[in-house]
Formats: sequence, structure tokens, C-alpha cells
Amino acid sequence: MIQEFPAQTANADTLNVSQPAQRPPSTVRRRALWGALVLLVAALLAMLIWLAGIYETNQVQARLERDTGEAVGDVRAFFAHSVQGLQVLQYADPTPNSWVIDAGSFLSEHREILRLEWRDSALRLQAHVDTPFRAPSFDRQGRSEVQSEIAVACANARRFSGPAYASSYFVPMANGLGQEVMEFCLPLQNGSKLTGYLTASYALRDVLERSLTRPMTRNNQISFTEGDGTRLAVFGSIRRGSRIFTARQLMDLPGTTLVLRMDSWRAAPDLFPNVLTALVTLVSIALVSVLGLLGEDMRRRFKAEHDLAEVLAFRQAMEDSLVTGLRARDLQGNTTYVNPAFCQMVGFSAEELLDHSGPAPYWPPESGDEYRQRQLIRQAGNLPPREGYESVFMRKDGSRFPVLVIEAPLINAQGVQTGWMSALLDISDQRRVEELSRAGLERLQATARLATVGEMASLLSHELNQPLAAISGYAAGSLNLLRADPQGAGDIGSELSLAMQRIAEQAERAGKVIKSVHDFVRRRDHVREAVAPQDLLDDILPLVHLQARQLSVRVQTEVEAGTPSVLCDRTMVEQVLLNLSRNAMQAMDSPGILERSLLIRVRALKANGTSKKWLEFSVADLGQGIAPEVQQQLFNPFFTTKAEGMGLGLSLCRTVVEQHGGALEFSANLPHGTVLTFTLPAADVA
Amino acid sequence: MQPVIDARIFIVDDDASVRQAFAWLLRSRRLYSEVFDSAEAFQRQFEGADGTATEQPCCMLLDVRMPGLSGLALFDWLIERQLHLAMPVIFLTGHADVPTAVDAVKRGAFDFCEKPFSDNALVDRVEQALAHSEAFLKVRRHAAQVRARQTELTERERDVMRLLVAGLPNKLIADRLDVSIRTVEVHRSRVFDKMEVKSAVELANLMRGGPE
Repeated sequence: MIQEFPAQTANADTLNVSQPAQRPPSTVRRRALWGALVLLVAALLAMLIWLAGIYETNQVQARLERDTGEAVGDVRAFFAHSVQGLQVLQYADPTPNSWVIDAGSFLSEHREILRLEWRDSALRLQAHVDTPFRAPSFDRQGRSEVQSEIAVACANARRFSGPAYASSYFVPMANGLGQEVMEFCLPLQNGSKLTGYLTASYALRDVLERSLTRPMTRNNQISFTEGDGTRLAVFGSIRRGSRIFTARQLMDLPGTTLVLRMDSWRAAPDLFPNVLTALVTLVSIALVSVLGLLGEDMRRRFKAEHDLAEVLAFRQAMEDSLVTGLRARDLQGNTTYVNPAFCQMVGFSAEELLDHSGPAPYWPPESGDEYRQRQLIRQAGNLPPREGYESVFMRKDGSRFPVLVIEAPLINAQGVQTGWMSALLDISDQRRVEELSRAGLERLQATARLATVGEMASLLSHELNQPLAAISGYAAGSLNLLRADPQGAGDIGSELSLAMQRIAEQAERAGKVIKSVHDFVRRRDHVREAVAPQDLLDDILPLVHLQARQLSVRVQTEVEAGTPSVLCDRTMVEQVLLNLSRNAMQAMDSPGILERSLLIRVRALKANGTSKKWLEFSVADLGQGIAPEVQQQLFNPFFTTKAEGMGLGLSLCRTVVEQHGGALEFSANLPHGTVLTFTLPAADVA
Repeated sequence: MQPVIDARIFIVDDDASVRQAFAWLLRSRRLYSEVFDSAEAFQRQFEGADGTATEQPCCMLLDVRMPGLSGLALFDWLIERQLHLAMPVIFLTGHADVPTAVDAVKRGAFDFCEKPFSDNALVDRVEQALAHSEAFLKVRRHAAQVRARQTELTERERDVMRLLVAGLPNKLIADRLDVSIRTVEVHRSRVFDKMEVKSAVELANLMRGGPE
């Protein structure tokens, strides 16, 4: 039993190894899934970076828009401030000469204004001042060229009753360059009466330069453009490149509309923060995945632990319930494991047995050398006999007992032998039973021999008595005849009479000899005791079973309830039952007979008017029955059908039964087989 | 040989030499015997016979131990049919069978005889058994006779006879039966005629001797 475990484990291992090879589709599918997962994660990260870029662009654009709005506000405020200064210039109701002085100083403060002109209400020039910072712009080109712009501006101003601007125009310069100039007109009023106009020519580039703060212009290029995008005036420098952001904003001035455009350069967006984000995301995903995997692993581990605990508990229960002792030893002969049954068997605790180098405590000291020798042989790798071997162990109290040891190699999961596993059976009970049954068998055999001698004497006496009776009868008859007719026989008659007399006497003598021998052997004849039928059966059944196992016969007994005790010579009746049972089992020992069943039955016979009660014992087999020619001689002494038989069995049985006053008979056991039935008297105290 | 005695003796024994020896022995004493080699053979011949079939005195020598039906079983068979009363059974037995034979005697067998010591002592027992049988048959015959005669009596004659046997005088009988003495006398003489007796004493003896 135990030896099969390693073999099974080995089988399981080979199975496990072969399984993956049998299922490649699963692996392909799993790899495809992993690939898809990696692709999806990469796509997710790419999208994340892209979206981050978009977001950043939007942020930059929004900030640019906001800056542009601020710039428009600055420019507008600049213009308003400038208008206030111009208005102050007129308040003092100046003469042309004083105005020129005032205007000259004003221009020196305002670089963006190229020229100031004072005109009357009919636009005739009263006085004019040019900026001191550059050559007069309008020298190369007549002032009249711009008369129309001034007229438009002043017409607007008159209409609004306030300052107004005209559309800008290009003024070529001496150095080949030119500048965009916008005319401004402020109506001069005395009460509600228009007295004249003050016009100013703004250089737009200077307006931008002076109105905007440094930070605004450092990284941006700011320009005024026309509706179609044509740049009129540009301030600030810009690097060329792809990352140019542009914002445009309308700037309404009385009489004209300008578009302020701001171009901003941004360095290529920093990949690093995005990559960082992506990395964090990736790490997060990995973290979550790892957590998930850990959770799954924990769950699996928990399940495995639970399963393992179950298996362990099962194994523990199995070990504890075993009556077979189990002992494992490593290759050095140290005991590594013992089960409770083994501890109980030898009386040592597990601690005393484990890790015990040298002779084991349960080795009887006198056999220690022999066992060590055996252990060495085992360590050399010699397989023990499969059916086990018998050995003698010592209990803790010093008593010895026989064990059956079945050893098998202990093979670990890697298929390497790590030791020996032994199953040990305490066979002292079995030994005791064997000895008891052997003793019982010997006792029975001795009795049987004695009984045989007695029965042979009995048989002989019967067989000799018959002819002696005949001799005696003839002799007596002859004497009678001779006496009845003494004359007829004459002299011979008296001689014959004497001879007949002697014959009768000798026959009588022979009879007496037989009787004395018979009586001598049969002195124990009249031992009678009351025995329960079940006790008779219990005595012989162990012996019957011994033979039944050899012949694979099923033995059944049936004692009718309420059967009284039987008055008999116990040993002799047991012999009869044993003899009949053996005969019956031998009758079934033939290959053709498949159903082999022996039925021993005891029942009380119905009292048939007479005072005595009888018990009927029957022994039935399912053999081939008794042939008719055998039936005739069945009870004859020295008749047998068995090669080694003496032929005394059945006739002895019959003698025994008849001595008890019973009868032994046979009949057919339908559909086949034989029943031998005998009767014995019941004990009176029933 | 001398004329045989009118009796039937049955020897049942499986051993031919023993059968023949006993038959020879009995014949030497003028007893005729019939031999059977087994109980079954005897049963076959007497199948259906009851106690009345045998009118001759008879007896049986029966071996205890035989193949097939044993002597004891045959004895039981005889008891069942009430044959053992008219036919005393003497068992022939070896040493071993003595307790069995004793037991059989207790159950009604006439005797048992141990082989081989039988010779003339056995024949004597046979003669005694025959005498026993004859006495039994006589009694049975007598009873049958009485029964047959009694059937001829009328109801009133039977009443008178019962009182006569009881020893009552005519006068008391007349009183008891409430009839005249004369009538009793007439009945009485008819009873004597039919019962073939001459006196009341003889009648009483006859009735007492019978089984009733």
C-alpha cells in the first residue's frame, strides 16, 4: 500500500510536465493578449503626451490673448494721455508764437508725435512745430499730400465734437525707409463755437515703442496691421521658428480702427514634464497592476494555503486513524517521521524516536547488529522484498513483539530518493491466533488419532463379530440337530457333538478377546456432556476456515433459534463435524464447480411421540453428489474414493453417531451436491 | 427334520452369513424363519399391513446397524403401525451398539442380544417372544370376538349386561331399569345366548379379559 505512493507521485509529475506541450494555442493567445495590453498602454501614454501638448498650447495662446488685450489697453491709455497733453497746450489761449514754444517743448517730451499743427476752423495753417528728434518728415513730400487725411480727421472731430483720428498712411523717408503715420485732429472750441483745430501726426512705431512696457516687448513682436494682415508698424524682434503664436485684437479709436497683432515665440514644448507625467502614469498603472497581481496572488496563495491545510488535516486524520505504523527514515538511517500508531506500537513518544542517530530505541539490544547490517544493505540501494519481511521490535517496557515491515523508497517531488518509508504491522495478535489454532489443531489431531484407534477396534469387532456369530449359530444349530436325533448319527454323532461344542467354545473365546480389546480402547466411551450446538461449531470453525480459504469455499452456519444443548462426547462429535465438513469441501474442489458453499445447519427435530428430543446436524455441499455405485458402499470401512484416504472417515463418523444413539444418513442436495445428516440426543435439561 | 412350529420369524440383517446362520439355528429348533437383507425389503413386503393382518404368532430379529434404513428406524416404523405389539422385536447388536439397544428396549423392544453369543439362549428368547406374541394375539382375538358378539345385543340387552357384569342381582337390575324382573330374566338369557356363556360369572370373566 505504502509503496505505491511514490510511484503515483512520479506519474503525476510526468503528467504535469506533458500538459503545457499539449496546449500551445493557450500560450499563443496569452502572448497576444500581453501584446495588446502593451500596445494599449503605449497608445494611452502617447495620447496623454499629445493632450498635454494641446493643453499647453492652449494655455500659451490664452495667455497671449490676454497680453494682447493688455497691450491694446496700454496703447489706448497712451493715446488718451497724449490727447490730454494736447488739450493742455491749447488752454492758455496762446498766440502763435507762444504756442510754438509750448508745442516745441511738448514734442520734446513726446517722441511719437512727428509734427503739431494749429489750424483755423477753415483748416488754414496757423502755426506748426516739427519734432526735434528727426529730420522733418514731410519735407520731401508736400504737406498737401496729407491734406485729405487731415480733412477727414477734422471732419470726424467736428462731427464727434471731440478728438478724432484718420487712417494711417505711409511716409517715405530720406534713407529709403519710411514710416506709417496717423493723423490726429482735436477741435478747438471757445464756448460752443469752433475756433480751430489742433492736428498731430503720430508715428505708429514710436507709439508702440513708448506705450508698451519692456516685458511685453521682450519676447513678443507687436505690430499694427490692416484688416488683411498687412503690417503697418512693427516693434520688437522675434525668432523665426515653428512655435509662433499669434493673437490679434481690434483697437477702436474715434474715426479709425487699428488691429493690434502680437506674435509670440515659444521654445519647443518641454518634453520632459510630459514624459514625467507619462512616467508617473506608467508607474501608477504598473503599481495598480502589481497591486492587482498581488491581490490575485494573495487570493491564490490563501486558496492554496487553505487547500494545503485541508490536505494536511486530511492526512493528519488519515495518519491518526491508521493502525498501521508508519516510519520514514532518511538515507543516513535517521528517523524523520513516525505516526501516532507507530508511537503507540513501540511505546516511545515521537520526540524520542525522531532524529535519533545510531541504533533506534525500539531495536532489541541483542539484534542491534543484525538490524544495522540490514540498514546498511538498504542504504546501499537494495530493494526490500515487496511483500515485506518480519522483524522483532522492542517496546519501551522492554517486551519484544513481532512486526511485519514493508519498505518502499521515499521519493521527493524532484524524483530523488530521500529515504525509506516503512509500514509496520504489529503481528503479535496474528501470531497468537496462529499458535492457538495450531495448538488446537494438534490437540484435535491427537484426539482424532486416539479416536481412530478406538473406532478401528470398534469396526474390527463388528466385522469379526459377524462371522463369529455365524459360526456360533451354525455350531449351536448343529448341536441342536445332533441332540434331537442321537441315534441317527451313531458314534460319529457324539464325536461331532463334541467338536461342535469346541467350535462354539472357540467362537465364544474369540468373541471375548474382541470384547476385551474393544472395552479396553473404548473405556472413555461413556463421557457425555451437554454442549450448546453453537459451541461445537465455534470449536471447529477456525479449522474449517483454514481449509475453506485454500479451496475458496464460503462457509455458512445456521443454528436454529432455541435449539437445546446436545448430550454427547464433545471431542468425538467435533471430529465427526470436522470430518464431514472436510469431505464436503473436498467434494467441491473441482474446477467445474463455481459456487462453493458449505452449509452447516443445526435444528431440533420435532418430537415424534417418544420422550426423547433429538437434534439434527446437517452438512451440505454443492459438489457433484455421490455416484450410485459409491452410495452402496459409502459407509463400508476401508472403502474410499480418495487416493490417499484410508476409507475410515465416514464409517468412523457413523460409529460415533450410533454410539450416541443417533443415525448418520446422506441424501442428495438439490439441484446438486450432497447433504450428510446425523442426529444426536438433546440434553434432558433443556 | 421335525414338523415346524406354526410361527413366523423375520430375520432382518444385512450380513448374509449371519442371516443364514440364524435361520439354520432356528430351523434346528423347528422354527421356520423368513430372511430380509434390509429394512427396506421388509417394509416392501409389509407395506400397508396393520396390526390385524398377522394372525400367526411372530417375532423379529433385527440388526441395529444396516446400510440404508437402520434397525432403529425400522423399529420406529413398526411402532407407528402398532405392529410391535403383535411382533416382538429382538435387536441383534455388536458391542458398540449396546447403549442403543438398551434404549430401544426401553421404548418397547422385546430384548436385545449381543453378537456373537446368541445360539440357544437366543432361540429361547425367540420362543418366549413367540409366546408373548401368541398371548397378545389371543387377547386381541378374544377382544375381537367379544366386540363381535356385543354388536348383536340390543340397546336394552347391553344395559342389562353392563349391570350383570357389575354384579347386580336381577331384582336390582329391574329396579334400576324400571322394568319387571321377568323382563330382566328374558334379557339375561338372551345376553347369555348371544355372548355364548352359561353364567354371569363366565360373562364377567369374558368381559374382564377383553380390552374394554
